[in-house]
Amino acid sequence: MKRTLIAKTGLFVGGLALLAAASIPATVSAQSILTYKGKDREAKLIAGAKKEGALTIYSALTVNQALRPLADGFQKKYPFIKVDFWRGSSRKIAQKVLAERRADSLVADVLEGSGLSQIMIKAKSVVPFSTPYANNIAKQYRDENNLWVASRFSYFGTAYNQKVIPAGTQPKTYADLLNPKWKGKIAWRIGSETGALLFISNVRMAMGEKAATAYFAKLSEQGLINFKGSARTLVNRVVEGEYPLAIQIFAHHPVISAKKGAKIGVQMMQPVPSVNGTIMVPKGVKNAHAAMLFIDYYLSKAGQNVLKKARYFPVVTGINPRKELTSITPRLANLKENYVKPETLFKLRKTSQNIFKKYFKHGKTVVVKRKKKKKKTKQ
Amino acid sequence: MTTPNRSVNNGLALGTRLKNLFSISPIVVVLASILLVLIMPAVIFLFQSSLHETQFDGSFGAFTFQYYVDLLTSDQFLTNLINATIYAVGSAAVAISIGVLLAWIVERTNTPGGGWVLIISIISLGIPSVLYTISFLMLLGKVGPANEILMWITGADAPLLDVYSLWGMIIIEGIEFAPLSYLLLSSVFRSNDASFEEASMMSGAGILQTFRNITLRLAQPAILALLILIFIRAFESFETPALVGLPGNVSVITTDIYESIDEVPANYGQAGAFSVVLLFIVGGLLVWYNRLSRNAERFQTITGKGFRPRVMDLGKWRWLTTAILAFLFMIIIGFPIGIVLWVSMVPYYDGVSLEALKLFTFDNYRTVFNSRSFHDSIGNTVIMGAAAASIVAPFTALCAWLTVRRYKGAWILDQLATSPLIFPAIVMGVAFLQVFLNLPFGLYGTLLSIILASMVRYLPYGMRYSYAGILQIHTELEEASSMSGARQTTTFLRIVMPLVAPAMVTCWLFVFLVSVKAVSIPILLAGPKSQVVAITLFDMWENGITNELAAMGATWTGFMTIISLIFYMLAKRYGLSVR
Repeated sequence: MKRTLIAKTGLFVGGLALLAAASIPATVSAQSILTYKGKDREAKLIAGAKKEGALTIYSALTVNQALRPLADGFQKKYPFIKVDFWRGSSRKIAQKVLAERRADSLVADVLEGSGLSQIMIKAKSVVPFSTPYANNIAKQYRDENNLWVASRFSYFGTAYNQKVIPAGTQPKTYADLLNPKWKGKIAWRIGSETGALLFISNVRMAMGEKAATAYFAKLSEQGLINFKGSARTLVNRVVEGEYPLAIQIFAHHPVISAKKGAKIGVQMMQPVPSVNGTIMVPKGVKNAHAAMLFIDYYLSKAGQNVLKKARYFPVVTGINPRKELTSITPRLANLKENYVKPETLFKLRKTSQNIFKKYFKHGKTVVVKRKKKKKKTKQ
Repeated sequence: MTTPNRSVNNGLALGTRLKNLFSISPIVVVLASILLVLIMPAVIFLFQSSLHETQFDGSFGAFTFQYYVDLLTSDQFLTNLINATIYAVGSAAVAISIGVLLAWIVERTNTPGGGWVLIISIISLGIPSVLYTISFLMLLGKVGPANEILMWITGADAPLLDVYSLWGMIIIEGIEFAPLSYLLLSSVFRSNDASFEEASMMSGAGILQTFRNITLRLAQPAILALLILIFIRAFESFETPALVGLPGNVSVITTDIYESIDEVPANYGQAGAFSVVLLFIVGGLLVWYNRLSRNAERFQTITGKGFRPRVMDLGKWRWLTTAILAFLFMIIIGFPIGIVLWVSMVPYYDGVSLEALKLFTFDNYRTVFNSRSFHDSIGNTVIMGAAAASIVAPFTALCAWLTVRRYKGAWILDQLATSPLIFPAIVMGVAFLQVFLNLPFGLYGTLLSIILASMVRYLPYGMRYSYAGILQIHTELEEASSMSGARQTTTFLRIVMPLVAPAMVTCWLFVFLVSVKAVSIPILLAGPKSQVVAITLFDMWENGITNELAAMGATWTGFMTIISLIFYMLAKRYGLSVR
């Protein structure tokens, strides 16, 4: 009895191993097509994508504003590809892709997000690719090793509810945020690469470490509300009146809401931090042809115009953002801009995280503060 | 002189023990092995992950105690432990207060409308916890009706309630547990001997005094056991702390686990250490709970002599209890469902007002019904719940039958199948996440992974139902079957199975209902192609798609309420407990 049991278990395990082995796809040709530059590139991509028949995009773009229109546009152009997308913060995307790769069950074919590229590069989880459309983007917005190209620009500002804070009385500079009247009223995003962390990094770059540290110590007195959720959600909360002020949000989000009639304004504080989104291909990609077709589409005039129409900032030279965004586009509005390269963003990440942990992580939990005071009196 | 004797004895005992070991029924061995294969890797990987450095790619690095040291030396851990305790005690207090009030009014007084309370139980079993929590966030939020009313009453020009706080968590979780608390207390109140109360009233005590001195006193042991039960369940809960606590900077241990995994790179080691600590805390509490509920039997109030539960005539006070009953009904079910329906009908939510009535639209429902991701997630959820239930029900029926009929070694099955009870759901999620990340089967992110983990999670619940069902069957029928020459397998399939079928169906429905409600396991395991409804709702809330969320939630709740209703009717018909 025991022997048959062992034999059966053995068979079962063996079967599972076989199944696992069979599920590893032949990715040999994937890399060559990703960097293929021949004249018949497009024909090859289409033929390959027809065979693949599917594409999964992981992106940090807001679904109803930009991600769904982009996927729909692509789907229309290539009806033979079944397009799936999943929206997550850059952090969630990185976490998911790393886990998928570790478990050998990669789902994603294209990755897009701000603050995503360097994590993926450090984890050696993206591969080089080339597309002729990249040539339309200024060189500083492309990776020298061809691991990513810029997908969109983002400028960050402060959103304020105009029912609570009438236009004109909002804080206008970083120093204004320290005014006691804003105490307990300022929210920012945590759990994101472009939220609190980028705010801290930007202030450090603008003021220098010493002045920045003093600034953060004062800012922490303001009892900042650590909001966990997407930037879009935080702006919605400002519209709803849940929070009167939100710093370090995507500047175009309040503009989009205001266009729909919401009483919300945006204030740019100088220097305006800016980053570029990045688009990438994960290592071990299953639908390489479809992935390249999507990247081509995204960077093409058609794709960039979808972004423009959605009131996002295109990256291709020659396509300017919509008129109503002029006042929040630093280069068009003559605002001082602090462009934070993906590399810099990543380099400052760890130290900015420490600053966050030190000053802001549990800003509102009273117990910790009490404990600290006790310690001081003991000393 | 005695030494050789003893050794002979020992030898004999060893021989018998070995013989006993070999005579264990093969079916028990097979089932026990299956259970071990399901449970052990999760436990091992959980401990492993907490004792090894987490590398950037998520793999195990060098051996370390650092995660435990960090945890035990950090102020924050203590704060979170205190937060979790306050939260759990508070929730239990709220739930029990509402439960006692409901149970007393319905069971011990002649207040009309008690039957309506059953609806509370049915809907509350069908509504996903995420949606329930979100409905309260909308009710109590800055622009919600609660604040509007308070501002109108007090004349304040700013919202008075901040629901994203510890008290917000306590109120929401407490109300969520109120139906459970009512169900468990109603049976206690029902079986109390009314003669004590009558004696009290005869001696001149008023209704309130009698309630305080007699009714509550009699129910005290049950209330204490319930207090610990709800304390444990709140302590290990995830939905409310994540949706309410995190935005308000109130963290507890379960949200710390989630946040450690949400970091980049995921800090599996820290999550593992948190999980192990939580596991021990909950394990300890469960031991205590078992001891208490065992002692509770000493306070039996149904005795052999003339037992007759009787209700109290409240006279003119009936209108008050009716009003209280109606109010509680609205708080537990009416308002939450109402706000979800409201939000699902408006294009954007900024409070309940007459003006918004003009904007009423079915657009959200249209968007939701036309979206493929909605269909996919409903399909996935139904498959996941049905698969988990279909495995758990027959499997636990077999284990329970072997245990009840005292097959050799079958007690192991009972122990193994009920052991997942000590795993808080989020810890179970972390443990299985490690299993799927480290095994080379490509299971991570698949629906199968969620099914496997949910199945293990709900084994103990299945055991409880199957056990109760099997206990009702006398051995005579099975003996007759084997006397007529049937083999064990035939007896089980042709005699036992048909007899326990009703219990199994109820068990199936229960496992289905609770597994599709859960967030903690799928939130760590689900991939983009294995989204389930609870996670879709959670993501929609985080991504700010509130109105579509409400439409989807309302539709799903309607569907689940029907299933929950069927479950109740079956459970009642076959006299099985509903929790």
